[in-house]
Amino acid sequence: MKKNLWIFCIPFLFIACSNNNKTVINASGSTTVLPVISIAAEQFMKTHPDVKIIVNAGGSGVGINQVGAQQIEIGMISRNITEKEIAQYPNTNFVVIPIGRDAVVPVVSSEIYDAGIKSLSIEQLAKIYRGEIANWKELNGPDKDILVIDKEAARGTRHVFMEIVLDDKEAEAAGADLVLGANNEEQTAIVQSDAALGILSNAWMNKDVKGIAIIMPNGEIIEPTLANIINGKFPIIRDLDLITNGEPTGITKEFIDYILSAEGQKIVEENEYVSISK
Amino acid sequence: MSAFQNSIGRGYVVSSTYLSIAIVLVIFIVLFISSYDAFSTVGWKIFTLEWNPSKDKFGVLSMIYGTLSVTFIALLIAMPLGVLTAIFISEILPEKFRLYFKSAIELLAGIPSIIYGLIGIAFFSGWVSSLFELATGRTILTAGILLSIMVLPTIITLSEDALHNIPKKYREASKGLGLYPFETITKTLLPIAKNDIIGAILLALGRALGETMAVMLLIGSIDRIPDPFYNFLAPGQTITSKLGREIGESAFGSLHFSALNAIGFLLLLIVITLTIITQFYFKKEDRL
Repeated sequence: MKKNLWIFCIPFLFIACSNNNKTVINASGSTTVLPVISIAAEQFMKTHPDVKIIVNAGGSGVGINQVGAQQIEIGMISRNITEKEIAQYPNTNFVVIPIGRDAVVPVVSSEIYDAGIKSLSIEQLAKIYRGEIANWKELNGPDKDILVIDKEAARGTRHVFMEIVLDDKEAEAAGADLVLGANNEEQTAIVQSDAALGILSNAWMNKDVKGIAIIMPNGEIIEPTLANIINGKFPIIRDLDLITNGEPTGITKEFIDYILSAEGQKIVEENEYVSISK
Repeated sequence: MSAFQNSIGRGYVVSSTYLSIAIVLVIFIVLFISSYDAFSTVGWKIFTLEWNPSKDKFGVLSMIYGTLSVTFIALLIAMPLGVLTAIFISEILPEKFRLYFKSAIELLAGIPSIIYGLIGIAFFSGWVSSLFELATGRTILTAGILLSIMVLPTIITLSEDALHNIPKKYREASKGLGLYPFETITKTLLPIAKNDIIGAILLALGRALGETMAVMLLIGSIDRIPDPFYNFLAPGQTITSKLGREIGESAFGSLHFSALNAIGFLLLLIVITLTIITQFYFKKEDRL
Protein backbone atom coordinates (compact mmCIF):
# COMPACT_ATOMS: atom_id res chain seq x y z
CA MET A 1 0.00 0.00 0.00
CA LYS A 2 2.73 2.44 1.00
CA LYS A 3 4.54 1.81 -2.23
CA ASN A 4 1.56 3.06 -4.20
CA LEU A 5 1.02 6.20 -2.18
CA TRP A 6 2.66 8.32 -4.88
CA ILE A 7 -0.34 7.63 -7.12
CA PHE A 8 -2.41 9.83 -4.83
CA CYS A 9 0.01 12.67 -5.49
CA ILE A 10 -0.78 12.72 -9.23
CA PRO A 11 -4.02 14.73 -8.91
CA PHE A 12 -2.16 17.33 -6.87
CA LEU A 13 0.51 17.44 -9.54
CA PHE A 14 -2.16 18.14 -12.15
CA ILE A 15 -3.75 20.82 -10.00
CA ALA A 16 -0.36 22.40 -9.42
CA CYS A 17 0.38 22.47 -13.12
CA SER A 18 -2.96 23.86 -14.27
CA ASN A 19 -3.60 27.54 -13.96
CA ASN A 20 -7.10 28.05 -12.69
CA ASN A 21 -6.97 31.80 -12.94
CA LYS A 22 -7.33 31.81 -16.73
CA THR A 23 -10.46 33.32 -18.21
CA VAL A 24 -11.92 30.92 -20.76
CA ILE A 25 -13.77 31.97 -23.89
CA ASN A 26 -15.55 29.23 -25.85
CA ALA A 27 -16.29 29.70 -29.52
CA SER A 28 -17.87 27.22 -31.91
CA GLY A 29 -19.81 27.01 -35.16
CA SER A 30 -19.17 27.46 -38.87
CA THR A 31 -16.14 25.69 -40.31
CA THR A 32 -15.88 28.56 -42.80
CA VAL A 33 -15.20 31.11 -40.06
CA LEU A 34 -13.16 28.69 -37.95
CA PRO A 35 -9.70 29.16 -39.57
CA VAL A 36 -9.83 32.93 -39.03
CA ILE A 37 -10.93 32.68 -35.42
CA SER A 38 -8.48 29.98 -34.44
CA ILE A 39 -5.51 31.94 -35.83
CA ALA A 40 -6.82 35.14 -34.24
CA ALA A 41 -7.23 33.28 -30.94
CA GLU A 42 -3.63 32.10 -31.07
CA GLN A 43 -2.34 35.62 -31.66
CA PHE A 44 -4.66 37.06 -29.01
CA MET A 45 -3.53 34.54 -26.41
CA LYS A 46 0.10 35.51 -27.05
CA THR A 47 -0.58 39.06 -25.91
CA HIS A 48 -3.09 37.98 -23.21
CA PRO A 49 -1.48 35.08 -21.35
CA ASP A 50 -4.29 35.01 -18.78
CA VAL A 51 -6.95 34.21 -21.42
CA LYS A 52 -7.75 30.82 -22.91
CA ILE A 53 -9.85 30.67 -26.08
CA ILE A 54 -11.25 27.30 -27.11
CA VAL A 55 -12.43 27.11 -30.74
CA ASN A 56 -14.64 24.25 -31.95
CA ALA A 57 -16.26 23.32 -35.27
CA GLY A 58 -19.79 21.99 -35.85
CA GLY A 59 -21.43 24.28 -38.38
CA SER A 60 -23.45 27.49 -38.17
CA GLY A 61 -26.47 25.67 -36.72
CA VAL A 62 -24.39 24.37 -33.84
CA GLY A 63 -22.97 27.84 -33.17
CA ILE A 64 -26.44 29.36 -32.99
CA ASN A 65 -27.82 26.60 -30.77
CA GLN A 66 -24.97 26.78 -28.31
CA VAL A 67 -25.08 30.57 -28.02
CA GLY A 68 -28.87 30.28 -27.73
CA ALA A 69 -28.57 27.76 -24.91
CA GLN A 70 -25.89 30.03 -23.43
CA GLN A 71 -23.28 27.30 -23.36
CA ILE A 72 -20.63 29.33 -25.18
CA GLU A 73 -19.66 33.00 -25.41
CA ILE A 74 -19.06 33.35 -29.14
CA GLY A 75 -20.84 31.61 -32.01
CA MET A 76 -19.35 31.61 -35.51
CA ILE A 77 -21.92 31.72 -38.30
CA SER A 78 -21.79 32.03 -42.06
CA ARG A 79 -25.51 32.58 -42.68
CA ASN A 80 -28.39 34.56 -41.19
CA ILE A 81 -30.11 33.31 -38.06
CA THR A 82 -33.57 32.01 -39.05
CA GLU A 83 -36.72 33.30 -37.36
CA LYS A 84 -37.38 29.80 -36.08
CA GLU A 85 -34.03 29.79 -34.31
CA ILE A 86 -34.66 33.21 -32.75
CA ALA A 87 -38.08 32.04 -31.54
CA GLN A 88 -36.51 28.91 -30.09
CA TYR A 89 -34.43 30.92 -27.60
CA PRO A 90 -36.60 33.70 -26.14
CA ASN A 91 -34.10 34.30 -23.33
CA THR A 92 -31.21 34.98 -25.66
CA ASN A 93 -30.62 38.31 -27.33
CA PHE A 94 -28.56 37.46 -30.41
CA VAL A 95 -26.10 40.19 -31.40
CA VAL A 96 -24.53 39.69 -34.82
CA ILE A 97 -21.07 41.13 -35.52
CA PRO A 98 -19.87 40.84 -39.15
CA ILE A 99 -16.12 40.16 -39.42
CA GLY A 100 -15.65 39.50 -43.11
CA ARG A 101 -17.20 38.53 -46.42
CA ASP A 102 -17.06 35.37 -48.48
CA ALA A 103 -18.57 33.74 -51.53
CA VAL A 104 -20.19 30.32 -51.77
CA VAL A 105 -18.83 28.75 -54.90
CA PRO A 106 -19.98 25.66 -56.82
CA VAL A 107 -16.93 23.42 -57.10
CA VAL A 108 -16.11 20.47 -59.32
CA SER A 109 -13.42 17.79 -59.42
CA SER A 110 -10.36 18.85 -61.38
CA GLU A 111 -11.10 16.15 -64.03
CA ILE A 112 -14.40 17.84 -64.84
CA TYR A 113 -12.82 21.29 -64.82
CA ASP A 114 -10.08 20.14 -67.18
CA ALA A 115 -12.69 18.55 -69.46
CA GLY A 116 -14.04 22.01 -70.13
CA ILE A 117 -16.76 22.69 -67.56
CA LYS A 118 -15.58 26.03 -66.22
CA SER A 119 -18.91 27.78 -65.73
CA LEU A 120 -22.57 26.93 -65.05
CA SER A 121 -25.71 29.04 -64.85
CA ILE A 122 -27.91 29.23 -61.75
CA GLU A 123 -30.60 27.44 -63.77
CA GLN A 124 -28.24 24.55 -64.58
CA LEU A 125 -27.14 24.30 -60.95
CA ALA A 126 -30.78 24.20 -59.84
CA LYS A 127 -31.53 21.42 -62.34
CA ILE A 128 -28.58 19.38 -61.09
CA TYR A 129 -29.61 19.74 -57.45
CA ARG A 130 -33.25 18.94 -58.32
CA GLY A 131 -32.08 15.80 -60.09
CA GLU A 132 -33.14 16.87 -63.58
CA ILE A 133 -29.60 16.78 -64.95
CA ALA A 134 -27.72 13.66 -63.87
CA ASN A 135 -24.84 13.34 -66.32
CA TRP A 136 -22.04 15.73 -67.23
CA LYS A 137 -22.72 14.84 -70.89
CA GLU A 138 -25.87 16.99 -70.78
CA LEU A 139 -23.65 19.97 -69.99
CA ASN A 140 -21.18 19.13 -72.79
CA GLY A 141 -18.84 17.41 -70.37
CA PRO A 142 -17.57 13.82 -70.25
CA ASP A 143 -20.02 10.90 -70.11
CA LYS A 144 -20.02 10.49 -66.34
CA ASP A 145 -22.79 10.57 -63.75
CA ILE A 146 -22.62 13.70 -61.65
CA LEU A 147 -21.78 12.95 -58.03
CA VAL A 148 -23.91 15.68 -56.45
CA ILE A 149 -22.70 16.56 -52.95
CA ASP A 150 -25.16 18.23 -50.62
CA LYS A 151 -24.51 19.56 -47.13
CA GLU A 152 -26.16 18.99 -43.76
CA ALA A 153 -29.38 20.99 -43.43
CA ALA A 154 -28.25 23.57 -40.86
CA ARG A 155 -24.91 24.38 -42.53
CA GLY A 156 -24.39 28.02 -43.44
CA THR A 157 -22.93 27.29 -46.86
CA ARG A 158 -26.02 25.31 -47.78
CA HIS A 159 -28.49 27.98 -46.63
CA VAL A 160 -26.77 30.69 -48.65
CA PHE A 161 -26.40 28.54 -51.76
CA MET A 162 -29.91 27.07 -51.75
CA GLU A 163 -31.53 30.43 -51.12
CA ILE A 164 -30.16 31.69 -54.44
CA VAL A 165 -30.19 28.49 -56.48
CA LEU A 166 -33.46 26.85 -55.37
CA ASP A 167 -35.14 29.99 -53.90
CA ASP A 168 -35.53 28.36 -50.51
CA LYS A 169 -32.72 28.09 -47.99
CA GLU A 170 -34.13 24.84 -46.64
CA ALA A 171 -35.08 23.32 -49.99
CA GLU A 172 -34.79 19.57 -50.40
CA ALA A 173 -32.27 18.51 -53.02
CA ALA A 174 -33.65 15.41 -54.71
CA GLY A 175 -30.60 15.04 -56.96
CA ALA A 176 -28.08 14.79 -54.12
CA ASP A 177 -25.95 11.65 -53.80
CA LEU A 178 -24.06 12.41 -50.61
CA VAL A 179 -24.75 14.62 -47.61
CA LEU A 180 -21.60 15.83 -45.89
CA GLY A 181 -20.74 18.28 -43.15
CA ALA A 182 -17.67 20.41 -42.69
CA ASN A 183 -15.83 22.17 -45.53
CA ASN A 184 -12.83 19.85 -45.26
CA GLU A 185 -14.99 16.71 -45.31
CA GLU A 186 -16.54 17.89 -48.56
CA GLN A 187 -13.15 18.92 -49.94
CA THR A 188 -11.89 15.35 -49.37
CA ALA A 189 -14.88 13.81 -51.11
CA ILE A 190 -14.43 16.06 -54.16
CA VAL A 191 -10.72 15.26 -54.39
CA GLN A 192 -11.46 11.52 -54.19
CA SER A 193 -14.05 11.63 -56.96
CA ASP A 194 -13.54 12.44 -60.62
CA ALA A 195 -17.09 13.60 -61.33
CA ALA A 196 -18.21 15.51 -58.26
CA LEU A 197 -20.09 18.78 -57.89
CA GLY A 198 -20.24 20.39 -54.48
CA ILE A 199 -20.60 23.71 -52.70
CA LEU A 200 -17.73 25.24 -50.78
CA SER A 201 -16.60 28.47 -49.29
CA ASN A 202 -14.30 30.49 -51.56
CA ALA A 203 -11.29 29.93 -49.33
CA TRP A 204 -11.32 26.16 -49.75
CA MET A 205 -10.37 25.88 -53.43
CA ASN A 206 -7.12 24.19 -54.48
CA LYS A 207 -5.63 22.47 -57.50
CA ASP A 208 -7.88 19.41 -57.10
CA VAL A 209 -10.99 21.33 -56.06
CA LYS A 210 -11.87 23.88 -58.72
CA GLY A 211 -14.36 26.67 -58.22
CA ILE A 212 -16.37 27.38 -61.35
CA ALA A 213 -17.73 30.68 -62.66
CA ILE A 214 -21.42 31.50 -62.75
CA ILE A 215 -23.18 32.45 -65.99
CA MET A 216 -25.55 35.35 -65.26
CA PRO A 217 -28.97 35.59 -67.00
CA ASN A 218 -27.54 38.30 -69.29
CA GLY A 219 -24.79 35.94 -70.41
CA GLU A 220 -22.01 37.55 -68.42
CA ILE A 221 -19.62 35.04 -66.84
CA ILE A 222 -18.58 35.95 -63.30
CA GLU A 223 -15.46 34.29 -61.90
CA PRO A 224 -15.29 33.64 -58.13
CA THR A 225 -12.42 36.08 -57.59
CA LEU A 226 -11.82 38.32 -54.60
CA ALA A 227 -12.39 41.36 -56.84
CA ASN A 228 -15.84 40.09 -57.82
CA ILE A 229 -16.73 39.46 -54.18
CA ILE A 230 -15.61 42.97 -53.19
CA ASN A 231 -17.60 44.69 -55.94
CA GLY A 232 -20.59 42.47 -55.23
CA LYS A 233 -20.84 41.04 -58.75
CA PHE A 234 -20.59 37.40 -57.75
CA PRO A 235 -24.20 36.32 -57.05
CA ILE A 236 -23.69 34.05 -54.01
CA ILE A 237 -21.97 36.13 -51.34
CA ARG A 238 -22.47 36.28 -47.62
CA ASP A 239 -21.20 37.89 -44.44
CA LEU A 240 -19.14 35.92 -41.97
CA ASP A 241 -20.38 36.78 -38.49
CA LEU A 242 -19.73 36.26 -34.85
CA ILE A 243 -22.73 36.12 -32.55
CA THR A 244 -22.98 36.75 -28.84
CA ASN A 245 -25.76 36.80 -26.29
CA GLY A 246 -26.24 40.53 -25.73
CA GLU A 247 -23.56 43.12 -26.51
CA PRO A 248 -20.15 41.54 -25.82
CA THR A 249 -18.44 42.68 -22.64
CA GLY A 250 -15.08 42.31 -20.94
CA ILE A 251 -12.53 39.99 -22.45
CA THR A 252 -14.97 38.71 -25.10
CA LYS A 253 -15.36 42.27 -26.36
CA GLU A 254 -11.60 42.74 -26.36
CA PHE A 255 -11.18 39.62 -28.48
CA ILE A 256 -13.87 40.65 -30.97
CA ASP A 257 -12.37 44.16 -31.16
CA TYR A 258 -9.04 42.52 -31.94
CA ILE A 259 -10.60 40.64 -34.89
CA LEU A 260 -12.15 43.87 -36.15
CA SER A 261 -8.85 45.75 -35.81
CA ALA A 262 -6.44 46.17 -38.74
CA GLU A 263 -4.34 43.27 -37.44
CA GLY A 264 -7.34 40.96 -37.12
CA GLN A 265 -8.66 41.89 -40.54
CA LYS A 266 -5.27 40.96 -41.97
CA ILE A 267 -5.90 37.42 -40.70
CA VAL A 268 -9.28 37.48 -42.47
CA GLU A 269 -7.56 38.41 -45.72
CA GLU A 270 -4.76 35.89 -45.28
CA ASN A 271 -7.47 33.21 -45.21
CA GLU A 272 -8.69 34.48 -48.59
CA TYR A 273 -11.84 36.10 -47.30
CA VAL A 274 -12.70 39.74 -47.87
CA SER A 275 -12.06 42.19 -45.06
CA ILE A 276 -15.14 43.88 -43.64
CA SER A 277 -13.60 47.30 -44.36
CA LYS A 278 -13.73 46.79 -48.14
CA MET B 1 -14.22 -12.77 7.21
CA SER B 2 -16.84 -11.69 9.69
CA ALA B 3 -20.57 -11.85 9.04
CA PHE B 4 -20.62 -8.07 8.97
CA GLN B 5 -17.99 -7.85 6.23
CA ASN B 6 -19.86 -10.54 4.37
CA SER B 7 -23.06 -8.52 4.37
CA ILE B 8 -21.20 -5.44 3.12
CA GLY B 9 -19.85 -7.48 0.24
CA ARG B 10 -23.26 -8.85 -0.52
CA GLY B 11 -24.88 -5.43 -0.39
CA TYR B 12 -22.26 -4.05 -2.75
CA VAL B 13 -22.72 -6.82 -5.29
CA VAL B 14 -26.52 -6.63 -5.18
CA SER B 15 -26.65 -2.86 -5.43
CA SER B 16 -24.26 -2.71 -8.37
CA THR B 17 -26.43 -5.24 -10.22
CA TYR B 18 -29.58 -3.22 -9.56
CA LEU B 19 -27.75 -0.05 -10.57
CA SER B 20 -26.90 -1.46 -14.01
CA ILE B 21 -30.50 -2.52 -14.55
CA ALA B 22 -31.71 0.88 -13.34
CA ILE B 23 -29.45 2.66 -15.85
CA VAL B 24 -31.03 0.74 -18.73
CA LEU B 25 -34.48 1.58 -17.42
CA VAL B 26 -33.67 5.26 -16.92
CA ILE B 27 -32.27 5.57 -20.46
CA PHE B 28 -35.35 3.86 -21.83
CA ILE B 29 -37.74 6.11 -19.91
CA VAL B 30 -35.85 9.35 -20.62
CA LEU B 31 -35.69 8.54 -24.33
CA PHE B 32 -39.39 7.75 -24.38
CA ILE B 33 -40.39 10.94 -22.58
CA SER B 34 -38.26 13.19 -24.75
CA SER B 35 -39.41 11.49 -27.94
CA TYR B 36 -43.08 11.64 -26.91
CA ASP B 37 -43.50 15.03 -28.64
CA ALA B 38 -42.39 13.61 -31.96
CA PHE B 39 -44.49 10.46 -31.69
CA SER B 40 -47.63 12.41 -30.79
CA THR B 41 -47.17 15.12 -33.47
CA VAL B 42 -45.85 13.04 -36.31
CA GLY B 43 -47.72 9.85 -35.47
CA TRP B 44 -47.59 7.02 -37.97
CA LYS B 45 -46.04 9.36 -40.52
CA ILE B 46 -42.77 8.59 -38.78
CA PHE B 47 -42.68 5.47 -40.94
CA THR B 48 -42.28 7.37 -44.19
CA LEU B 49 -39.28 8.30 -46.28
CA GLU B 50 -39.10 12.08 -46.09
CA TRP B 51 -36.99 13.80 -43.46
CA ASN B 52 -36.95 17.59 -43.48
CA PRO B 53 -36.88 19.27 -40.06
CA SER B 54 -37.67 22.71 -41.48
CA LYS B 55 -40.99 21.39 -42.83
CA ASP B 56 -41.65 19.17 -39.79
CA LYS B 57 -41.34 16.00 -41.82
CA PHE B 58 -39.72 13.20 -39.88
CA GLY B 59 -39.74 9.93 -41.80
CA VAL B 60 -37.32 7.35 -40.48
CA LEU B 61 -37.78 4.39 -42.84
CA SER B 62 -34.56 5.02 -44.74
CA MET B 63 -32.56 5.11 -41.51
CA ILE B 64 -34.07 1.88 -40.19
CA TYR B 65 -33.36 0.30 -43.55
CA GLY B 66 -29.76 1.54 -43.45
CA THR B 67 -29.15 0.34 -39.91
CA LEU B 68 -30.54 -3.12 -40.61
CA SER B 69 -28.71 -3.56 -43.91
CA VAL B 70 -25.36 -2.39 -42.58
CA THR B 71 -25.71 -4.74 -39.62
CA PHE B 72 -26.78 -7.57 -41.92
CA ILE B 73 -23.68 -7.15 -44.11
CA ALA B 74 -21.39 -6.86 -41.10
CA LEU B 75 -22.69 -10.05 -39.49
CA LEU B 76 -22.82 -11.92 -42.79
CA ILE B 77 -19.07 -11.40 -43.13
CA ALA B 78 -18.02 -11.49 -39.50
CA MET B 79 -20.01 -14.51 -38.32
CA PRO B 80 -18.38 -17.29 -40.39
CA LEU B 81 -14.99 -15.59 -40.30
CA GLY B 82 -15.13 -15.10 -36.53
CA VAL B 83 -16.36 -18.55 -35.59
CA LEU B 84 -13.90 -20.28 -37.93
CA THR B 85 -11.02 -18.25 -36.51
CA ALA B 86 -12.15 -19.17 -33.00
CA ILE B 87 -12.17 -22.86 -33.92
CA PHE B 88 -8.71 -22.54 -35.40
CA ILE B 89 -7.22 -20.81 -32.36
CA SER B 90 -8.86 -23.09 -29.82
CA GLU B 91 -8.65 -26.49 -31.53
CA ILE B 92 -5.96 -26.48 -34.20
CA LEU B 93 -3.34 -23.96 -33.13
CA PRO B 94 -0.75 -25.37 -30.67
CA GLU B 95 -1.56 -24.22 -27.15
CA LYS B 96 1.64 -22.20 -26.72
CA PHE B 97 0.71 -19.78 -29.54
CA ARG B 98 -2.88 -19.31 -28.40
CA LEU B 99 -2.34 -16.27 -26.19
CA TYR B 100 -0.26 -14.44 -28.80
CA PHE B 101 -2.92 -14.89 -31.45
CA LYS B 102 -5.70 -13.91 -29.08
CA SER B 103 -3.97 -10.78 -27.84
CA ALA B 104 -3.26 -9.71 -31.39
CA ILE B 105 -6.91 -10.08 -32.29
CA GLU B 106 -8.10 -8.39 -29.12
CA LEU B 107 -5.95 -5.40 -30.04
CA LEU B 108 -8.35 -4.90 -32.96
CA ALA B 109 -11.13 -4.26 -30.46
CA GLY B 110 -9.06 -1.58 -28.76
CA ILE B 111 -8.67 0.59 -31.85
CA PRO B 112 -10.95 3.63 -31.56
CA SER B 113 -13.73 3.69 -34.12
CA ILE B 114 -12.74 7.10 -35.46
CA ILE B 115 -9.47 5.54 -36.62
CA TYR B 116 -11.37 2.85 -38.49
CA GLY B 117 -13.39 5.67 -40.01
CA LEU B 118 -10.29 7.57 -41.09
CA ILE B 119 -8.73 4.51 -42.69
CA GLY B 120 -12.06 3.78 -44.32
CA ILE B 121 -12.31 7.26 -45.82
CA ALA B 122 -8.67 7.52 -46.82
CA PHE B 123 -8.19 4.12 -48.46
CA PHE B 124 -11.06 1.72 -48.23
CA SER B 125 -13.75 3.82 -49.90
CA GLY B 126 -11.36 4.51 -52.77
CA TRP B 127 -10.77 0.79 -53.29
CA VAL B 128 -14.48 0.04 -53.27
CA SER B 129 -15.25 2.78 -55.77
CA SER B 130 -12.55 1.67 -58.21
CA LEU B 131 -13.36 -2.03 -57.77
CA PHE B 132 -17.06 -1.60 -58.56
CA GLU B 133 -16.53 1.47 -60.79
CA LEU B 134 -18.75 3.66 -58.65
CA ALA B 135 -19.00 7.42 -58.53
CA THR B 136 -18.35 7.32 -54.80
CA GLY B 137 -16.96 4.76 -52.39
CA ARG B 138 -19.22 5.97 -49.59
CA THR B 139 -21.77 3.19 -49.72
CA ILE B 140 -23.77 0.89 -47.48
CA LEU B 141 -21.48 -1.99 -48.49
CA THR B 142 -18.31 -0.06 -47.53
CA ALA B 143 -19.74 0.76 -44.12
CA GLY B 144 -20.90 -2.85 -43.68
CA ILE B 145 -17.50 -4.34 -44.50
CA LEU B 146 -15.69 -1.91 -42.21
CA LEU B 147 -18.18 -2.68 -39.47
CA SER B 148 -17.56 -6.40 -39.92
CA ILE B 149 -13.87 -5.84 -39.16
CA MET B 150 -14.83 -3.88 -36.08
CA VAL B 151 -17.11 -6.59 -34.63
CA LEU B 152 -14.80 -9.45 -35.58
CA PRO B 153 -12.69 -9.41 -32.37
CA THR B 154 -15.84 -9.60 -30.22
CA ILE B 155 -17.01 -12.72 -32.01
CA ILE B 156 -13.58 -14.36 -32.14
CA THR B 157 -12.49 -13.82 -28.59
CA LEU B 158 -15.80 -14.80 -26.96
CA SER B 159 -16.37 -17.83 -29.20
CA GLU B 160 -12.82 -18.93 -28.59
CA ASP B 161 -13.36 -18.69 -24.84
CA ALA B 162 -16.51 -20.75 -25.19
CA LEU B 163 -14.71 -23.49 -27.10
CA HIS B 164 -11.64 -23.42 -24.93
CA ASN B 165 -13.68 -23.75 -21.73
CA ILE B 166 -15.15 -27.09 -22.78
CA PRO B 167 -13.59 -29.73 -20.48
CA LYS B 168 -11.00 -32.00 -22.03
CA LYS B 169 -13.04 -35.12 -21.30
CA TYR B 170 -15.44 -34.35 -24.18
CA ARG B 171 -12.60 -34.24 -26.67
CA GLU B 172 -11.08 -37.40 -25.24
CA ALA B 173 -14.41 -39.21 -25.30
CA SER B 174 -15.06 -38.37 -28.93
CA LYS B 175 -11.51 -39.31 -29.83
CA GLY B 176 -12.04 -42.58 -28.00
CA LEU B 177 -15.11 -43.23 -30.11
CA GLY B 178 -12.93 -42.90 -33.18
CA LEU B 179 -14.20 -39.56 -34.47
CA TYR B 180 -12.02 -37.49 -36.76
CA PRO B 181 -11.03 -34.00 -35.50
CA PHE B 182 -13.51 -32.48 -37.96
CA GLU B 183 -16.30 -34.56 -36.48
CA THR B 184 -15.19 -33.77 -32.95
CA ILE B 185 -15.48 -30.06 -33.72
CA THR B 186 -18.80 -30.14 -35.56
CA LYS B 187 -20.58 -32.91 -33.65
CA THR B 188 -19.25 -32.45 -30.11
CA LEU B 189 -17.68 -29.08 -29.44
CA LEU B 190 -19.82 -26.70 -31.50
CA PRO B 191 -23.16 -27.99 -30.11
CA ILE B 192 -21.85 -27.57 -26.56
CA ALA B 193 -20.49 -24.08 -27.20
CA LYS B 194 -23.46 -23.04 -29.31
CA ASN B 195 -25.19 -20.86 -26.73
CA ASP B 196 -22.05 -18.97 -25.84
CA ILE B 197 -21.22 -18.42 -29.49
CA ILE B 198 -24.67 -17.03 -30.04
CA GLY B 199 -24.11 -14.76 -27.05
CA ALA B 200 -20.92 -13.54 -28.73
CA ILE B 201 -22.77 -12.84 -31.95
CA LEU B 202 -25.46 -10.97 -30.03
CA LEU B 203 -22.85 -8.72 -28.46
CA ALA B 204 -21.37 -8.12 -31.90
CA LEU B 205 -24.85 -7.33 -33.22
CA GLY B 206 -25.29 -4.74 -30.49
CA ARG B 207 -22.03 -3.09 -31.39
CA ALA B 208 -22.83 -3.12 -35.10
CA LEU B 209 -26.23 -1.53 -34.53
CA GLY B 210 -24.80 1.16 -32.30
CA GLU B 211 -21.54 2.03 -34.07
CA THR B 212 -21.55 5.70 -35.02
CA MET B 213 -18.33 7.44 -36.01
CA ALA B 214 -16.90 5.05 -38.59
CA VAL B 215 -20.30 4.46 -40.18
CA MET B 216 -21.14 8.16 -40.22
CA LEU B 217 -17.98 9.00 -42.15
CA LEU B 218 -18.41 6.18 -44.65
CA ILE B 219 -22.07 5.77 -45.46
CA GLY B 220 -22.78 8.99 -47.35
CA SER B 221 -25.52 10.18 -44.98
CA ILE B 222 -28.34 10.52 -47.45
CA ASP B 223 -31.88 9.67 -46.33
CA ARG B 224 -32.76 7.34 -49.14
CA ILE B 225 -33.49 3.67 -49.74
CA PRO B 226 -31.55 2.63 -52.85
CA ASP B 227 -33.36 1.32 -55.87
CA PRO B 228 -33.65 -1.71 -55.98
CA PHE B 229 -33.54 -2.09 -52.21
CA TYR B 230 -30.78 -4.73 -52.23
CA ASN B 231 -28.40 -2.42 -54.07
CA PHE B 232 -25.86 -2.04 -51.28
CA LEU B 233 -23.50 -0.14 -53.59
CA ALA B 234 -25.43 3.07 -53.00
CA PRO B 235 -25.09 5.63 -50.20
CA GLY B 236 -27.54 5.46 -47.33
CA GLN B 237 -28.14 6.54 -43.77
CA THR B 238 -28.21 4.72 -40.45
CA ILE B 239 -29.97 5.80 -37.28
CA THR B 240 -26.65 6.45 -35.58
CA SER B 241 -25.17 8.45 -38.46
CA LYS B 242 -28.30 10.62 -38.54
CA LEU B 243 -28.01 11.23 -34.80
CA GLY B 244 -24.31 11.96 -35.07
CA ARG B 245 -24.79 14.49 -37.82
CA GLU B 246 -27.87 16.31 -36.59
CA ILE B 247 -28.01 16.23 -32.81
CA GLY B 248 -25.74 19.26 -32.51
CA GLU B 249 -27.82 21.27 -34.94
CA SER B 250 -31.15 20.68 -33.27
CA ALA B 251 -32.32 23.09 -30.60
CA PHE B 252 -32.95 21.49 -27.23
CA GLY B 253 -36.69 21.04 -26.75
CA SER B 254 -37.62 21.49 -30.41
CA LEU B 255 -39.64 18.98 -32.42
CA HIS B 256 -36.46 18.19 -34.35
CA PHE B 257 -34.67 17.29 -31.12
CA SER B 258 -37.60 15.16 -30.06
CA ALA B 259 -37.63 13.37 -33.41
CA LEU B 260 -33.92 12.58 -33.03
CA ASN B 261 -34.69 11.15 -29.61
CA ALA B 262 -37.46 9.14 -31.23
CA ILE B 263 -35.08 7.46 -33.66
CA GLY B 264 -32.74 6.76 -30.76
CA PHE B 265 -35.68 5.15 -28.99
CA LEU B 266 -36.46 3.07 -32.08
CA LEU B 267 -32.85 1.89 -32.19
CA LEU B 268 -33.07 0.82 -28.56
CA LEU B 269 -36.31 -1.01 -29.33
CA ILE B 270 -34.65 -2.85 -32.23
CA VAL B 271 -31.76 -3.94 -30.01
CA ILE B 272 -34.08 -5.07 -27.22
CA THR B 273 -36.38 -6.98 -29.56
CA LEU B 274 -33.50 -8.81 -31.23
CA THR B 275 -32.01 -9.69 -27.87
CA ILE B 276 -35.27 -11.00 -26.47
CA ILE B 277 -36.01 -13.06 -29.58
CA THR B 278 -32.58 -14.70 -29.52
CA GLN B 279 -32.73 -15.30 -25.77
CA PHE B 280 -36.10 -17.02 -26.04
CA TYR B 281 -35.15 -19.02 -29.08
CA PHE B 282 -32.11 -20.56 -27.47
CA LYS B 283 -33.42 -20.78 -23.93
CA LYS B 284 -34.45 -24.41 -24.01
CA GLU B 285 -30.95 -25.77 -24.37
CA ASP B 286 -29.11 -25.78 -21.09
CA ARG B 287 -25.86 -24.02 -20.69
CA LEU B 288 -22.84 -26.08 -19.81
